[in-house]
Order: sequence, then C-alpha cells, then structure tokens
Amino acid sequence: MKYITTINEQEYEVEILDEKHVTVNGRCFAVDFHSLSDQPVYSLLIDGKSYEAYVYPADEFWQVLLVGRQFQATVEDERERRLKMQAGSNVAERAEFLMKAPMPGLVVSVPVQEGQAVEKGDILIVLESMKMQNELKSPRPGSVSRLRVKPGDSVELRQIMLSVS
Amino acid sequence: MLNKVLVANRGEIAVRILRACRELGIETVAVFSEVDRQALHVRYADEAYYLGPAPSRDSYLRGDKIIEIAKKSGAWAIHPGYGFLAERADFAQACLDEGLVFIGPRPSAIAAMGDKAQARATVSAAGVPVVPGTEGEGSLCDDDLLAIAPMIGFPLLIKATAGGGGKGMREVNNLDEMPGLLQAARREAEASFGDGCVYLEKLVLGARHIEFQILADNEGHVIHLGERECSLQRRHQKLLEECPSPFIADDEALRQHMGQVAVRAAQSVGYVNAGTIEFLVDKDKNYFFLEMNTRLQVEHPVTEMVTGVDIVKEQIRIARGRSLRYAQEDIRWNGWAIECRINAEDPYNDFLPSTGRITHSQLPTGPGVRVDSGIYHGFEISPYYDSLISKLVVWGESRAEAILRMRRSLEEYKIIGVRSNIPFHQRLMDSVRFMGGQFDTRFVEERFSMGGSEVVKQAPPEIAAIMATLVADHQARQAATIVRPNERDTSNWKWLGRWERLQR
Repeated sequence: MKYITTINEQEYEVEILDEKHVTVNGRCFAVDFHSLSDQPVYSLLIDGKSYEAYVYPADEFWQVLLVGRQFQATVEDERERRLKMQAGSNVAERAEFLMKAPMPGLVVSVPVQEGQAVEKGDILIVLESMKMQNELKSPRPGSVSRLRVKPGDSVELRQIMLSVS
Repeated sequence: MLNKVLVANRGEIAVRILRACRELGIETVAVFSEVDRQALHVRYADEAYYLGPAPSRDSYLRGDKIIEIAKKSGAWAIHPGYGFLAERADFAQACLDEGLVFIGPRPSAIAAMGDKAQARATVSAAGVPVVPGTEGEGSLCDDDLLAIAPMIGFPLLIKATAGGGGKGMREVNNLDEMPGLLQAARREAEASFGDGCVYLEKLVLGARHIEFQILADNEGHVIHLGERECSLQRRHQKLLEECPSPFIADDEALRQHMGQVAVRAAQSVGYVNAGTIEFLVDKDKNYFFLEMNTRLQVEHPVTEMVTGVDIVKEQIRIARGRSLRYAQEDIRWNGWAIECRINAEDPYNDFLPSTGRITHSQLPTGPGVRVDSGIYHGFEISPYYDSLISKLVVWGESRAEAILRMRRSLEEYKIIGVRSNIPFHQRLMDSVRFMGGQFDTRFVEERFSMGGSEVVKQAPPEIAAIMATLVADHQARQAATIVRPNERDTSNWKWLGRWERLQR
C-alpha cells in the first residue's frame, strides 16, 4: 500500500512493501515496528536504529511525539488523495467548527453572544479546571451559533459548547 | 502518643510526608475526598478517613473535620503539606487549641508573613533589603499612590496586599495608564481575596527568583540550607527548580550573605520549623526580599539531594521539640540537582490542563534519579485539584551532568492517558540559553516556544512520517476486518455444517 504522508507541508511517499520493509521517497528501509503493551507508544527499529514515539489520532491527522518534538502528520492513501484532489481543497474551510470542552470543568464566562461575528483567536469561552482559568479561542473567523452553555455551567469532557460557522 | 501523624493533603506531597513518617517509624493517618478513595496516599497510609465531596472547600479545606479525625484516630500532630491549609494561621491556631501539634511555624508567624505589606515592613525593620515600594505606608488611596509612583520610578507593579499567584497584580509603564490599572487591580484583588488593598513595588528588570531554605528549632537555632533557583516560571507558576542557582554558583560569599539575611528575616517573626525566604535578584546581584513561604515547598527535594538533609524528617523532629541536628557549618553542598514539575498539561495546546485515566506509566530509574509521584497506572486525574502529578528530580556531580541525566530521564518517562508537559521540559533541556544558565523570570513566557528553533537537537521528520504511516496503515487494516464481519475463512455452507454438528 502506498501512502502520501505530509509533515510541515513536506510530502513523504511511504510505501509499505511487507511487514518488514518500507520505502520512503523510493529509498528502501528494513523496519521492525511494535506497539508497546497495546498503548499508543511505538517502538521502531529502522536499519538498526531504535526510536520510540507516541502516536495519537487527532481529528484530521496523527500526532507523533518523537524525541521531545511533536509532529502533525496527515496520512492519505492514493485513493483518498485522488478523491480529495477532485473535491477541491476547501472542504475544511466550509465545515463548521464545534467547540468541545477539552477537559471537564466549570464555565467561568462566555464573552460572546449567539450570532456574533468572531475573528480567529478571539476568546469564546473561559473554562476553569485544575484551579486554572483557560481561555478557549476560536480557530477560525465566523459567527457564533448554537451556544449551549452559560457561566456557572459544569461541562463534561468533549461536551459541545458552541459552534463557529 | 507522639507516634501518629495525620497528613492533611493529597497527591505527591502526601505520599512524600507518609514516606518520611514510615522511615521514622511513625504511624500515619490519611484523609481523602470522594474522588481520591483509590489515591496513592490512601493506599500507603496506616489509616484513612473520608472527608467529603471532591471540591477542596468540601474536603481538603475542611479544617474542622480534619481536626476531628485527628482526635478520633489518636494522632498527635497534623502535617499540612503545601497548599490547602498549609498557610492558614486560623487552622494552625485551631490545632493548638485542640491540643494537636501543627507541623509548621506558630500561627503568629504565619499571619505575620501572610500579609505581604506587613511581612515587608517587618523584615525591612530587621535590616533585610526589600524591593522599593509603598508597603510601609499602610493602605493608600489612588491619589496618594499616583503621587508616590514617580518617586519609585517606572516600570512598577501594583500588587494586592493579601495577594498571591499573580492575582490583583498589574505592571505599570507610565503614569497615564496607571489610574485604569489601579482600578482593575483593586477589582481583581477584591474578587479574589475579599480585600481591595494594593501597594506599589518597583519592577526589577531581568530579575531572577532565588529562594533560601531555612530550618529553625524551638530553641532559637536557625540555619539555612542554601538557595534554589526558581526563575523558570509560567504565569507565576514554577516549572523547574535547581540547587544551587547557576547565577550564584561558586560565589560562596554571596550565598552566605544572602543565607544570613534569610536567617535574619525568619528570626524577625520568631520562626520555627522549615520555611523559605524568596528573593528577587537583579543582574548586578542586588537582592531584595520578596516573601516568605511558611511551609514545606514543592521544590524541597533539590535541596535534599544536594545537602543530604531530609527536610520533612527535620520538620517532624522539630515539631517533636528536638533541637536541630545540624549547625550551619555542618551544611555542605555536594553536586547539582534539578527538578522538573510534571503537570497534566498539554504544552502543545497552550498548557491546557488534561484530565483522564492514566492507562500506562513508566517511571525513569537508574543512577541519580528520584521521582516523587502521586499517580499510578489506572489512576484517574480529576479536574478538582492542582495539575501537578509528579516531580522528577535528578542529581549530578555538575550542572552539566544533571542536565544530561534529566534529558535521559525525561526520555524514559512515559505517561499515557493524559497529556503531560514532559515535552516542554525536553525542549527546555535542549535550549542553549537554559544550558548557559542565561534566563530570568520572563524567559519561558517571552523567549521560549515549543516550536522555536533555539534547540540544538532536531528529531528526524522522516521517522515521524514512517511511524504515523505504519500506525495509520495498521488501523486501516483493522477497520477493514471490522467492516466485513461476515467474511469467514471458509464458505458459509461449511460453517453452517460445523454449527449444526455443534448443536447436536
């Protein structure tokens, strides 16, 4: 199976030949890859060199934590890639952003109102957790809709609090 | 009856105190909130009693209940740890009133150091230098403050008299913006502490935060255990501490001088037990008293590693009425120690707290490594308390060895289930400025970034790409087998035949 993996806008063509071999941009490597005790910690032996990393799934990409550095990798197989090319690249732009609680906590303030226009980086909600007040910011411009929380509310992890569309 | 101690705290510090008690052969009593039934401190103690619901004010801040439990269980003393009830003079007094020993200073010393303006006035009268400010003037109205400000000089800080943790604090750069900032500071101080009183203090630029550990017994002997470097902070929260400070390093005269001043500051309030004097030190090595913490500090292990003194055991010995086992000249500093505070926070997402179950945890071990931890595999990190989950401390013969040892220990340390700030510390260990000891209290906020290029080591992105692809491929294959559950390795007719034979 051939994949196009992108990190920092740099594309890597990774082909998985079999259990023990991959090619990266045409260069072949001997690999020995293990998940450690079924956790998202992986050990990779590649041409004798040993690496350990955390690999977490995120919404649209994979987070790889390797030697104290975090990489965001998008992995697409050839078919996905072709489909995406045809559909155009502005799918993500159109979709609305759902702000989910990144942790359980208490809503301290909601400095925006239903229907209000916001810019990227504007504070949408202040959430208190672990004695700290955390400002949750908008990742994109748009307008606030479906506001479902008010100051004083307790929220659960990943509870939808509002959306920006 | 002097053989049972109640630990009025949770997390790593409760475990730390329980360990000291165990080694001294003292029985232990733990207290716990609803969500801490399975916490390590409950498992390690000889006895454990339920306090109340998860929020601190219903559990770990319930001084009345804690005293009741202490009496019921027959404990002679209460160790408050840090945070919660540790710096509450009224709680310390209530312990004494009930015939219990509070392992810490007298209530009067806690009160004297708790009011920042009073503390500054007291130590200043004892000849300890303080940052120039209006602390001696009592509480002033805005007009007076505006008149005094130019005499102190800008930039300066507005601080809450009852303050702490950066609340009610504002930085002022000129007279024009001052009235508005005064209002904001008073409002915040009023909301946080129920007291809108503020004072002014000169802002020391390029300042380092260096503190001295002191020990004092009931007979008036006071010694210091040297300094700790605590300049690496974010939002006034310390992240990494060292002993000694790379700024003082081998300036033995400065160390002894500051140490003596710290001892004098402690004596000015008749201090007993372990305490810490915090100083601001400017780039010309002028130092000013900042405040005194009348309790055990989070970062006490770095001092223990370098001096060999077990501070918690000394606290208990002092509380038992023993005299200090050390004279000042007995204290020797050997090598270098660094502590990284491991917080359940995501350094890639603006240090947002992270909660959840620890699904996997692997501690670093080996030479020169100490981990004070309150978590274990399977433990649930709740949103109710501080995000500090463990402290990784290393010792080395030199600062360079300590840094290299910390670097390898951070690499070994695995915590899965919640996000931790371990990657932050890893980047810090690679920072050229950190290695050179060139940092002040603003370094983390102003000169450091998780994506910055100021690091010497680069992880290879190709490897990250290969690993992400292998995991994605593995998951796609697994998903494929789940999507087609009806696909069997044999035909349905054969499978039906086998099934019928089984049913006979």
